[in-house]
Amino acid sequence: MIRRRMLTASLMGLTVQSERARAAAGRLVTIGGAVTETVFALGQGDRIIAVDSTSRFPTKVSALAQVGYLRALAPEGLMGLAPDLMLVSEEAGPPQVLSVLRAAGAPVAMVPDEAGIEAVSRKIRAVAQALNLEGAAVADAVTADWRRLDAPIASLQPVSAVFILSVARGAPLVAGRDTHADAMLLAAGARNTVRSFAGYRPLSAELAAALAPEAIVMMDHALAEAGGAAAVLSIPSLAVTPAARARRVIGLDGAYMLGFGPRAAHARRDLARLLHPNAVLPGLPSRGWT
Amino acid sequence: MNRMAAVPTLQERVTLPLLPLGVGLLGAAILAGLLLGPARIGADGLLAVLAHWLGAPLPPEHARDAAVIGVIRAPRVLLAALVGAGLGAAGATMQGLFRNPLADPALIGVSSGAALAAVAAIVLAGPAFGASAGLFGLWLLPIAAFIGGLGATLVMARLGRVGGAAPVATLLLAGVAVNALAGAITGLLIFMADDRQVRDITFWTLGSLAGARWQHLPVILLLVGLPSLLLCALARPLNALLLGESEAYHLGVSVEALKRSAILLAAISVAAGVAFTGLIGFVGLVVPHVVRLVFGTDHRIVLPGAALLGAALLVLADLAARSLASPAELPVGVITALIGAPFFLWLLRQSGSGNGA
Amino acid sequence: MIAARALTMRCGGRRLLDEVSLELQPGEVVAIIGPNGAGKSTLLRAMSGELRSEIGVVTLEGRPLAAWHPVDLARRRAVVSQNVALAFPITGRDVVGLGRLPWHATPQAARDVHAVEAALETVGATGIAAQRYATLSGGERQRIQIARALAQLDGAAHPAALLLDEPTASLDISHVGVILRLIRRLALQGAAVMVVLHDLNEVSFAADRVMVMAEGRCVAAGPPAAILRPRLLEAVYGIPFQRRGDALLPEFTTD
Repeated sequence: MIRRRMLTASLMGLTVQSERARAAAGRLVTIGGAVTETVFALGQGDRIIAVDSTSRFPTKVSALAQVGYLRALAPEGLMGLAPDLMLVSEEAGPPQVLSVLRAAGAPVAMVPDEAGIEAVSRKIRAVAQALNLEGAAVADAVTADWRRLDAPIASLQPVSAVFILSVARGAPLVAGRDTHADAMLLAAGARNTVRSFAGYRPLSAELAAALAPEAIVMMDHALAEAGGAAAVLSIPSLAVTPAARARRVIGLDGAYMLGFGPRAAHARRDLARLLHPNAVLPGLPSRGWT
Repeated sequence: MNRMAAVPTLQERVTLPLLPLGVGLLGAAILAGLLLGPARIGADGLLAVLAHWLGAPLPPEHARDAAVIGVIRAPRVLLAALVGAGLGAAGATMQGLFRNPLADPALIGVSSGAALAAVAAIVLAGPAFGASAGLFGLWLLPIAAFIGGLGATLVMARLGRVGGAAPVATLLLAGVAVNALAGAITGLLIFMADDRQVRDITFWTLGSLAGARWQHLPVILLLVGLPSLLLCALARPLNALLLGESEAYHLGVSVEALKRSAILLAAISVAAGVAFTGLIGFVGLVVPHVVRLVFGTDHRIVLPGAALLGAALLVLADLAARSLASPAELPVGVITALIGAPFFLWLLRQSGSGNGA
Repeated sequence: MIAARALTMRCGGRRLLDEVSLELQPGEVVAIIGPNGAGKSTLLRAMSGELRSEIGVVTLEGRPLAAWHPVDLARRRAVVSQNVALAFPITGRDVVGLGRLPWHATPQAARDVHAVEAALETVGATGIAAQRYATLSGGERQRIQIARALAQLDGAAHPAALLLDEPTASLDISHVGVILRLIRRLALQGAAVMVVLHDLNEVSFAADRVMVMAEGRCVAAGPPAAILRPRLLEAVYGIPFQRRGDALLPEFTTD
């Protein structure tokens, strides 16, 4: 009996979710860095009341309430914020908590999280649709910026590179196939030398030497945590690489480089410039969201 | 006053009202767990929800309150109570069975086995079903963890047998071996895991009740509640075991049957709890001690007492876990240790020398 | 009532028991003596049902012990082992109370409180009963354990058996007398008593029959007057004995 009452309560919650008009006017919680950036790019940043710990751009989000790491969401904390809409990256979890949120009638809209310019466009359109807005303008602008780089980068000689997520756990944790880092390296005129496995794995010293990357790419905060370029290059498995001899360690903001949000095209250009310092690349227009 | 005389005895149980005290504490904890939390619900909202449960229509402005209490908090509080009770009762049973105050359910391999299977589910099955897996994905991890926990315990019980009997020391060593092996395979799986999976594993090992759903509760009631009740029925033979295995046999206890049922029931209740919450340390180890320090050694008191106190502790720890870092959430295993360890130390100092038998 | 027939037990190539036969009769005290390692405690544990032998059989009222449910066994025989250590702190009275476990959920359970207090009184332990067992001296613990065994047999409808492993080992002289008189009285009341002893004077005071063991074998058995003779004991213990008055004493020589 009581249980049935609870079910009706959740069904009433579901009707709230479908009230798009209310969502369009209401308060947002965004989970996922690219999702947050996209909401700002669509001009709706002021409606965000809370973000997850991977949302760090634009910098004013640091003043908002923090819902924690996106893989360890809190159902009641999110409900307690009483948002009119939660925009949640598909990366988020655990799945049990998402299922609790849906059962409680929380207004949740999932946003796909993949790499590549088509995925960027899909992401922007998904967020816009959930907000009852037209997302084509932003999506098309990012796509146009990205496409302007296609021909110049294709003409460059690819640099062999390895992306290191962190060196904190002993062996460097490097990006293999099917990672955002792999996709961005490729887009920026590099060749990921680690393609024998998918995901992020520790790299053995022998394999590092055999792969002989010419450049090492890292997120700038991971580079700082590791103690800077000199410290990274002194790691035995990396010291023998051509990258170490040329002292080529590239650091770039992680959310910028790997988020595949509205800043993806600019990130592609910046990474390509760092990988190919002598190449001439076209400038990109300054956008409202970069 | 002579401290000897202050030790509660088996006969004094009537004078210390454990049952009303424990039930009252648990009731208060459950009430607090339902009423409090990061989603503020005013008195009017609460009254509206209660009236709704009793049949009144729900005012639309309280739809969210009803969802928070009915869909999020209620199953979560009940899950916490049942899992806490299971951990407390299983811990008290293991300490009695192994005649060791440092024993806890982890000794029989159930936690490491559940962790191994959960990590395997995260690492191996995660990619196969994707991040937003369907119904099967939601049940895959609990089912794997339950089977893993129970399986590891059965392996340990089998390895611990010498001839027809399973001497406690051999059982302990078999548990150590099973834990080491499960830990090694878990390490191998973590090596194979990518960075995100490693983070998922880390959070799983710290425990969380955030995934509680009504549909879990019948399973939990059957696999945690029932075994915990049955464990309480082992109180008398466990009391005899205070004197040692030989003496317990002389007193008419079928010692091997007692060991089998105690280990099996504890393993079922812990494995099923862990399956839905991840690893929650501390409750199984320290809650029985707290009960013993206050109420004495009689297992007729310690078993139900540890179940009630474990339930209340986990409900309150979960309330703290979802409130303290709001709108984010702390791992509940962190809270149980943070609340429990200092309290335990304080109690230990209050009671003097503690456990010297 | 408890009878062992041709018991043989081995452990790692060593013979702990070698074709030992022994029958305990109601109303009789049987003392087991012999040097350390002779197999006395092993025999006692086999007679209690705790150890199972590969060869030979122990029966109670004609039925093999293995065929008895442990609870039925516990209502007919009690055992006092050496050096019982507790896992968690409880009082001496609690230990004695555990002796009532076999009677749980029977009409005899109504006697629980009386049985515990009477047993404590019998061994003179009422005054120490409220103390933690762990804080008691060796002799006090021994008396508590004996009281526990008495409480266990209180209310037994059948002739009961009491097996005691060196019950006087850590007692002072006054309590040795209490325990030995208690053993005799129990036998008079119809119990079958088996007791492992070291002191030969205690044997001659308490026992109706003596069995001498050495290297897992029964060397001699019979009434104390027939067994406690210097020549036999010298052969078993390998030291000279002499009679002083009524007492039979080993002759400790200085080198």
